[in-house]
Amino acid sequence: MSSSGDLLHVVTNDSISAGRKAFGRAITWGSAVCMVIIAACQLAQVLGWWDLGFENWRPTLYAYVMWAVCLCWGQVLQYGEHGKRTLFVLPAALFVISLTVFPLLFGLIIAFSDWNLSSPDGRQFNGLDNVRQMWADPFYWNAMLNMVWYVLAILVEYAIAFGLALALNAEIRARKFFRVAFLLPLMLSPVAVSWMIGKSMLEARFGPISRLGRALGWDNPSFFESPWIAKATIMLMDAWTFIPFMMIMILAGLQAIPKELNEAAKVDGANGWRAFWEVTFPMMLPVSITAILIRIIFKLKLADIVIAVTSGGPGGATDTVTSFIFREYRDRSNVGYGTLLAMVYLVVIILVMTLLMKLADRYARPRT
Amino acid sequence: MKVDLYEVMSRATLSRRRMLQGATALGAIAALPMAARMAAAEAHGNVRAEILKIPGVGMGSPTDSDWQKVGEMCLDATKANVAEGEFAGVELTFFGINNNGLHNILFRGLLKGWETYTGAKINWIDLAQADYNPRLQQSIATGTVDFDILAMGAPLEGDTASKGLLDEMPDWVKAQIEMDDYVGYLKAPVGTWDGKTYRISIDGDCHTFAYRKDYFGEGAIGGAEVPKTWQQVNAYSKAVVGQTDPLTGQAAIGYLDPLKGWGGFGFYFLENRAAAYAKHPSDPAWLFDADTMKPRVNNPAWVQAIQDVLDLIATPGAYPADQINADPGTTAFSQFLAGTGSSLMWWGDVGSNARTSDTSVVGDVVGFGINPGSDRVYNSASGAWEETYNEAPNMAYLGWGVYVTNRVSADEKKRKAAWSAAAHLGGKDLSLWMSAYPSGFQPYRNSHFQYDEWEAAGYDRAFVEDYLGSNADSYNHPNAAIEPRIPGIFQYYSVAEDELSKIYAGQYASAQEGADAIAAAWDKITDDIGRDSQIALYKASLGM
Repeated sequence: MSSSGDLLHVVTNDSISAGRKAFGRAITWGSAVCMVIIAACQLAQVLGWWDLGFENWRPTLYAYVMWAVCLCWGQVLQYGEHGKRTLFVLPAALFVISLTVFPLLFGLIIAFSDWNLSSPDGRQFNGLDNVRQMWADPFYWNAMLNMVWYVLAILVEYAIAFGLALALNAEIRARKFFRVAFLLPLMLSPVAVSWMIGKSMLEARFGPISRLGRALGWDNPSFFESPWIAKATIMLMDAWTFIPFMMIMILAGLQAIPKELNEAAKVDGANGWRAFWEVTFPMMLPVSITAILIRIIFKLKLADIVIAVTSGGPGGATDTVTSFIFREYRDRSNVGYGTLLAMVYLVVIILVMTLLMKLADRYARPRT
Repeated sequence: MKVDLYEVMSRATLSRRRMLQGATALGAIAALPMAARMAAAEAHGNVRAEILKIPGVGMGSPTDSDWQKVGEMCLDATKANVAEGEFAGVELTFFGINNNGLHNILFRGLLKGWETYTGAKINWIDLAQADYNPRLQQSIATGTVDFDILAMGAPLEGDTASKGLLDEMPDWVKAQIEMDDYVGYLKAPVGTWDGKTYRISIDGDCHTFAYRKDYFGEGAIGGAEVPKTWQQVNAYSKAVVGQTDPLTGQAAIGYLDPLKGWGGFGFYFLENRAAAYAKHPSDPAWLFDADTMKPRVNNPAWVQAIQDVLDLIATPGAYPADQINADPGTTAFSQFLAGTGSSLMWWGDVGSNARTSDTSVVGDVVGFGINPGSDRVYNSASGAWEETYNEAPNMAYLGWGVYVTNRVSADEKKRKAAWSAAAHLGGKDLSLWMSAYPSGFQPYRNSHFQYDEWEAAGYDRAFVEDYLGSNADSYNHPNAAIEPRIPGIFQYYSVAEDELSKIYAGQYASAQEGADAIAAAWDKITDDIGRDSQIALYKASLGM
């Protein structure tokens, strides 16, 4: 047994023969070469260079599985006990890669293709045509602009959620009841919200909210007729569903703040507002940032309410990127263009979220 | 008397008595098949009368046991072509939708007796309406068609028949289902694809004009006469603004245009208006130029139709509040049947629901007619308006059909089984029951318009004549506006809906500008799918 190296975690020290190591390397690299050759042959057939009679991509899949098995086996053959430890992670890593990287690659191939399911020619690689089409597509950019407004509405939602959380954190009667009651909207499906509220309660002639509007002197209550009212109504319905989510996160944060801090502030003579602004709010910044970031991610996926209630109207005023992609992909079977729009949106989301997290990291540390 | 019979009789020396005996015997023999036919016809008539009693008009919606009974009672046509147990061991997969617990769910019950008799087994792929088209398109595009029988709307033949996915109908099926009984527009060329028959029709689709009778007549708020043209429709819709609805006491509303999209289906409702202007009797094409696929949606006829809607939008009170957010479902079920608005164009559901739906308040005051016409029609060939009256009922969606896919073409037993099941669903008697009871399908055979049968079944004669008559008049109209069965037809409609939403919201300077945007988007789709193939298929679908 060796007297150096990772002695803490090694149970036995293998003496691995050179032949075994060579076999391990051979099966690892041999299966890799085999996989590359089969994939190349299939690619050649897809590109029309060489017809080998493959009917689908399963041979490459099988080659990949064989390579994965050989890679794992090779680890044990070459590295013995260390190799076995690798096996705790390697299969899971390969599995995750299979389910993320490969679909992503195929998604990219589709995104740069002209693939209208109704076309008799099937999928055709079309370079950057989809990007050019996207660049000149007023519906997509209109939806992007709408997303900016929808995301900005989160600031208002946050303020309301914070207020509700403060109220529920206070010593009020029936606190537990209110906590549950305020959480109820979050438990509802957005589609149910769309029908119950958007299509029923807000129905212009018979909806109870419209009747109330008329009783209060509003001649023709209409919640989806003018672009800004329609946008605001969608924002309200979405906010009603998701404010409880932010509220519950902030409430958890509030309960984690040591009471001594507020008591110390009181002793120092701070009034309620000053104590909130100088103690509670800064202490809550990390939780707030997390809540807002998660809420932004939810908001960027907003589609169900819009699809069910307005279909993006009037005139695209309530359209979201996701609902537009839905129409492009589903109603128009435009798989190539729809995939590109989704990919671009994914990149935009990643960039914006990364930027926001950096900014949050820099400016939102608790002031101590 | 026949010549050969006369010769036989004159060669023999027959007494007058013997000759008369012989003639009587011959006559009796000659009359035998007729008597047999009469008996069969009586039995046939009895079947039609008997199935219409299940469960009986006004006895609630039919249940699965009713469907099974009706299916069993209509098996005679199948038995004439298939021996009992002939398809034992055959398994078929049926692809369709399950809307409102009908369609595939109904077919299960109707085919139960067929399965028992033939020995075949049917597996079902049920889809929600919204999932249907994407699933079908993906199956075709990825080469994973996993069904033998397909219930499909005729407009999608462009996506299926054009790709050789369907099996051509054998002659024995045509005879079994009595195809000659189909209404005019469902026969060739709309009933065929490139000269071949693939579809067993189980439905007829067209939009008819439903109106409130209490709005029209002497002294009524909508005028003395029911409007016959779109010009009159717009005029009365403006005239009733500020008046009171005679039924509900609320503000009177004229024609109900759905101004919000409906997954492509909303475009049919602009088509209703445009058909009268754009469908010239001398030209079967009206959406595209057949030789170039150049869209006609931005020609003066279509622009006029859009402008008509914009005129009503610009008239305060002409539409209910929030009409910009009303899709066709809203106009029919939340507005018209609930007493809001006085006319609209829709499928037959409005007629059947007006009297049977619990939420309908207009059952006693609803009347029906064909799509309004126009005082003038645009001739695309000459590029000029013609000042003559024109009407063109819109055959919106053409109707559902049952198809057999080419998965079974190589296996004769399976193929016969698939066609037999499809023919059972499209049988003459079964279809009468389906058109009289909730099924999701409208009448589509001339024999469906024998009003005596409906009356005997318990329907109100006047109502049925009015409602069914508007369908029959539309189906058999010589200038029916036929939907082109080209690949991706709903892509065109869907993108048009997006642009129409912007037009109606006032984001374009004029109707023409908006229509030009639709035309540009349509050109893009045509180029995506392939212009040459679209031209060929467009012509084939219209029989040009």
